[in-house]
Amino acid sequence: MGKRKSRAKPETKKRMDKLDTVFSCPFCNHGTSVECRIDMKNLIGEAICGICQESFSMTINALSEPIDVYSEWIDECERVNNVEDD
Amino acid sequence: MYAGDGDGYDPVNIEDDEPVPMEDDEEEEISQEDAWPVINAYFEEKGLVRQQLDSFDEFIQTDIQEIVMETPDIEIRPESQHNPSAQQVPDFAETVYKIKFGQIYLSKPVMTEADGETSTLFPRDARLRNLTYSSPLYVDVTKEIIQKGHDYEQVTETEVLSKVYIGKVPIMLRSSFCTLYGNSEKDLVELGECPYDQGGYFIINGSEKVLIAQERMSTNHVYVFKRQQPNKYAYVAEVRSMSESHGRPPISMIVGMLSRGSEKGSSPGQRIHCTLPYIRSAIPIIIVFRAMGFVADKDILQHICYDFTDNEMMDLLRPSLEEAFVIQNQQVALDYIGKRGSTVGATRAKRIQYAKEILQKEMLPHVGVGEYCETKKAYYFGYIIHRLLLCALGRRPQDDRDHYGNKRLDLAGPLLGGLFRNLFRKLTRDVRGYMQKCLDNGKDVNLHFGIRASTITNGLKYSIGTGNWGQANAAGTRAGVSQVLNRLTYASTLSHLRRLNSPIGREGKLAKPRQLHNSQWGIMCPAETPEGQACGLVKNLALMTYVTVGSSANPILEILDDFGMENFGEISPAVIPQSTKIFVNGRWVGIHRNPEPLVNNLRQLRRQVDINMEVGIVRDVRLKELRLYTDYGRCSRPLFVVEDQRLLIKKRDIRALQQWESPEETAWHDLFKRGCIEYVDTQEEETTMISMTVNDVVSARLNPKEAYSNTYTHCEIHPSLILGVCASIIPFPDHNQSPRNTYQSAMGKQAMGIYMTNYQLRMDTLAYVLYYPQKPLVTTRAMEHLHFRQLPAGINAIVAIACYSGYNQEDSVIMNQSSIDRGFFRSLFFRTYKDEEKKVGTLIKEDFGRPNRENTMGMRHGSYDKLEDDGFAPPGTRISREDVIIGKTSPVAQDDDQKGQASRYTHRDHSTSMRHSESGMVDQVMLTTNADGLRFVKVRMRSVRIPQIGDKFSSRHGQKGTVGMTYTQEDMPWTCRAKPIKGMPWAVESITPDIIVNPHAIPSRMTIGQLIECIMGKVAAEVGKEGDATPFTDVTVDNISNALHKCGYQMRGFETMYNGHTGRKLTSMIFMGPTYYQRLKHMVADKIHSRGRGPVQILTRQPAEGRSRDGGLRFGEMERDCMIAHGAANFLKERLMDQSDAYRVHVCEHCGLIAIANLRKNAFECRGCKNKTDIVQVNIPYACKLLFQELMSMAIAPRMITKEVKQVKAQTRMEPNN
Repeated sequence: MGKRKSRAKPETKKRMDKLDTVFSCPFCNHGTSVECRIDMKNLIGEAICGICQESFSMTINALSEPIDVYSEWIDECERVNNVEDD
Repeated sequence: MYAGDGDGYDPVNIEDDEPVPMEDDEEEEISQEDAWPVINAYFEEKGLVRQQLDSFDEFIQTDIQEIVMETPDIEIRPESQHNPSAQQVPDFAETVYKIKFGQIYLSKPVMTEADGETSTLFPRDARLRNLTYSSPLYVDVTKEIIQKGHDYEQVTETEVLSKVYIGKVPIMLRSSFCTLYGNSEKDLVELGECPYDQGGYFIINGSEKVLIAQERMSTNHVYVFKRQQPNKYAYVAEVRSMSESHGRPPISMIVGMLSRGSEKGSSPGQRIHCTLPYIRSAIPIIIVFRAMGFVADKDILQHICYDFTDNEMMDLLRPSLEEAFVIQNQQVALDYIGKRGSTVGATRAKRIQYAKEILQKEMLPHVGVGEYCETKKAYYFGYIIHRLLLCALGRRPQDDRDHYGNKRLDLAGPLLGGLFRNLFRKLTRDVRGYMQKCLDNGKDVNLHFGIRASTITNGLKYSIGTGNWGQANAAGTRAGVSQVLNRLTYASTLSHLRRLNSPIGREGKLAKPRQLHNSQWGIMCPAETPEGQACGLVKNLALMTYVTVGSSANPILEILDDFGMENFGEISPAVIPQSTKIFVNGRWVGIHRNPEPLVNNLRQLRRQVDINMEVGIVRDVRLKELRLYTDYGRCSRPLFVVEDQRLLIKKRDIRALQQWESPEETAWHDLFKRGCIEYVDTQEEETTMISMTVNDVVSARLNPKEAYSNTYTHCEIHPSLILGVCASIIPFPDHNQSPRNTYQSAMGKQAMGIYMTNYQLRMDTLAYVLYYPQKPLVTTRAMEHLHFRQLPAGINAIVAIACYSGYNQEDSVIMNQSSIDRGFFRSLFFRTYKDEEKKVGTLIKEDFGRPNRENTMGMRHGSYDKLEDDGFAPPGTRISREDVIIGKTSPVAQDDDQKGQASRYTHRDHSTSMRHSESGMVDQVMLTTNADGLRFVKVRMRSVRIPQIGDKFSSRHGQKGTVGMTYTQEDMPWTCRAKPIKGMPWAVESITPDIIVNPHAIPSRMTIGQLIECIMGKVAAEVGKEGDATPFTDVTVDNISNALHKCGYQMRGFETMYNGHTGRKLTSMIFMGPTYYQRLKHMVADKIHSRGRGPVQILTRQPAEGRSRDGGLRFGEMERDCMIAHGAANFLKERLMDQSDAYRVHVCEHCGLIAIANLRKNAFECRGCKNKTDIVQVNIPYACKLLFQELMSMAIAPRMITKEVKQVKAQTRMEPNN
């Protein structure tokens, strides 16, 4: 039988994964419930959990992205926790 | 004249050398002719596969040891196991077991027989017995047991195991670890080797394997490209950074200037971002600087722009500065980077730490991965941006991806190094696992058990044997790195050993990487490349290419320090614009304020071989850079050094070369030490002015006004050395249309000749040998080093270019049958059959011997009469088609086969018979044992191939043709030139051609070289000397013609001829003369095939495929389409069914499925429908029936509805009643 020339599958190039825009909630621990709103006009960034409605807002700058707002929130939680511990 | 040629060779320089202008210098200048002794000296010392040997030697001598040393020590802490019986608390905190690997030792290649006897292995045995030519590798292992207390550490036990066997490494033939190394020609012959064989390959399981050099882009080099719009970036600078210890894959950094207004609502400026490893988005460059601790704008700009008065560049940086305005200290910048890393949701301190580590260890590792590298790294990072800006400002063109200076070749050494590193890592991992297990179970550790030598032995064998580079079925393996060495003809072997491959997708439409690049001059052969899919991707090295093996950069760095290079610690950025940046292997190491003397000094040192002669010194005056290279894989070539418009090599040196006798030092190396010659790599070449010939230098000095250049720095040794192995065989390639040289380069590899002098001692699976090979009458100088005269592949045929009888149309040729009868182009064909007594299980073993029809089942068609008692046909036996040449049987288990009733068969046949399309004579039988100690036999068959109609021949100019007709001498045209002969008034020369080619082969193909070869061949034959057809010399057609005229022939090579059939004079004169012809391996006898009926495949019952199986000729899709278009439905049915796999089934009319048919009893039944009457016979292809049954097996019911048939039946039944 006429054999077909076998061709190796094209290598799937590893793409750099994109920066996250949804995060896990520090309160309800849902994996992808936190979304960030970036208001460039008023320079306010807000992170809201869609499940438990917990939220955090901060002033941002031109370079801020969702990850910045979320990270700030985590830091804020950390600080509050540490204060409570003391 | 060729120097140092032993076989009485004396070439005609048909044209005399131009007298060299005499000078009153104290030192006589050399002429172009004097370059040849230099070239001889080169090939005498280096041979033609030096790159392979050098590379492998480097691997053995340094790379293996380095790899072993760089592996971290194995440290094992026993996990405390719960053991209720022993409940004591140890008095120290923990015990640590440490394993260190030290010195390695490699022995000569050895072979261990099945009985345990070990002896030195010679390549010949390895080839014949299908062994692997490899050497055992040993390493010193130190085991330490350290007891760690809470505040102390103590080595309690040290055990040194010296020379632990860790595996076998295949050895490259003729490398310094080969048993043949340093043997004289005589010794080699005694060992059964061909003295012309140059090695450079491996022997794995008896087959010769070459590692094909792999091309790649160079690392640690900044490339700046303009991106094709629309694209996110307008310009990008890329660096693939790899630290010196090449254990880890390169990490790339891309710095890009964004296109204007690419993102919606962003500021319109062209900001610059860069990628960082493990960071998921591009980071503004200013933030990277701030994260590295350079916070002030001024600080940053000093690292990028150097010169603050450069307003254009400063303006380009403004948007970037403005963008990063919001981040104004190091911590914030680090946090900004850390947040975009792989860990989401980490705390700030952790993020900052993470970012710091990435900047230190992962970003641009070639600059440094230790602490306090920030300054260096910032300068290098700034330099990348600087280069990007230069390109964006249009001050510098974008980089050229295809420039050969940006390419590196991975030869056998680096390829094996990478493989060995992985395997050694695997070995250490296994050792760790073994020890952990032993210690956890409280057992003693026996390292000799733990170190599994088979890891390395089999890993290397697998990769070199199959060509799959990397571990079996792991991702990212490259296929085809190792290939079976081509042994068709000597030139094809040489060419194969000098081949290289660019691993770019063959289907890519981009033409650029396939095209010949200017920078490949003298490095890659411009003619020798395959046609079709791999065109331009597979290349061949030119004759004098030297591929660097690499050396340490440290000596260079020391010298630079001595010569006043300023390091980054001591300089202020303000001095950078005025001084020259110094790069070593792509790493910016410092600056120098006065580069001119520095470069001169460095060159001088290199010419004295005080620094390695393969170091590349590139001074880029415009960029104010000095780039030094010591890495491996750069392509370079030797050139004559010119100073003050004079070659440094003098006539005196040439004379010394010709009388060279000193055995310990080679002549070529001596020339290097005296600075007459140096290696110039493809990047350095850009900074030189090279004269094409020696005369150009001389005339530039004498005639400065008319000279092309007065600033020559180098001179070509000879321009013909730009060609590779195969193209160097072509006479006058400079007179041919270039694709013809490419065609010949491909065909030269299929020509028959003597492929090795020891072919009688070899058992190659296929081999062709020409009966009476001749050295060509018309030669090139380079051929001497290819040993083409000693191992030729062709015959000087008398070739006429004429129309004669019409049997040479469309690239066919007429051949003189009388010449053929005298042995013209007769050749031998060898085929080797092999077999071994395999073991089946532990008890049953196959046996060689003559099978007996009485007790052997499954015997072949052919005759077993030619076998002797030992089971082999003896040498000299004539074997015709399908006769058995190796008899072998295996015992058949007797017991429950036939249930008590003993079968008459005790054996099953496993004999090997001759291919059914071939016949011949047994040439040699070799019986031995293989690596497993099994009896193993190779039988070589020989047959004579006489040229016949349909065989393929070619000249050396890409003019191939098949024999269309043979005429005996009487029927060939003859010349009638009167020729004075002593003692006779006159005689008629009366020459008949051996081959007549059609004149139509010439005009459109423009192979003028063939015509010149022909007339030069005529002169050479008449004068009795060889003609020199080296390209780029000043031999002209007029010179040759005049020489021919002097011999008493028509000056352009024409002859008056008479028709052999009629005796009449031919109306036109015929161009005729000796032309070197090659017999190509394609012969009708191997291809002729026809079949009326024959074997079918078992599964589909369609005819088998292929000539070797006596298969049918495929009536394919396109043929089918033709028949459909013609409407030839019956013919189509005949082809596709009746002549293929016609079959009939019986179908139940009720359910449409296949019914049970008992044709003998004429009984039909469909069990499901309980139907025994309504059953029809249907003719379908067997493949169709097979499909239906396969569908049924998948619970799909393919029903054949036969209603129409029923109606027709009914109609026919009714008709008689009407």
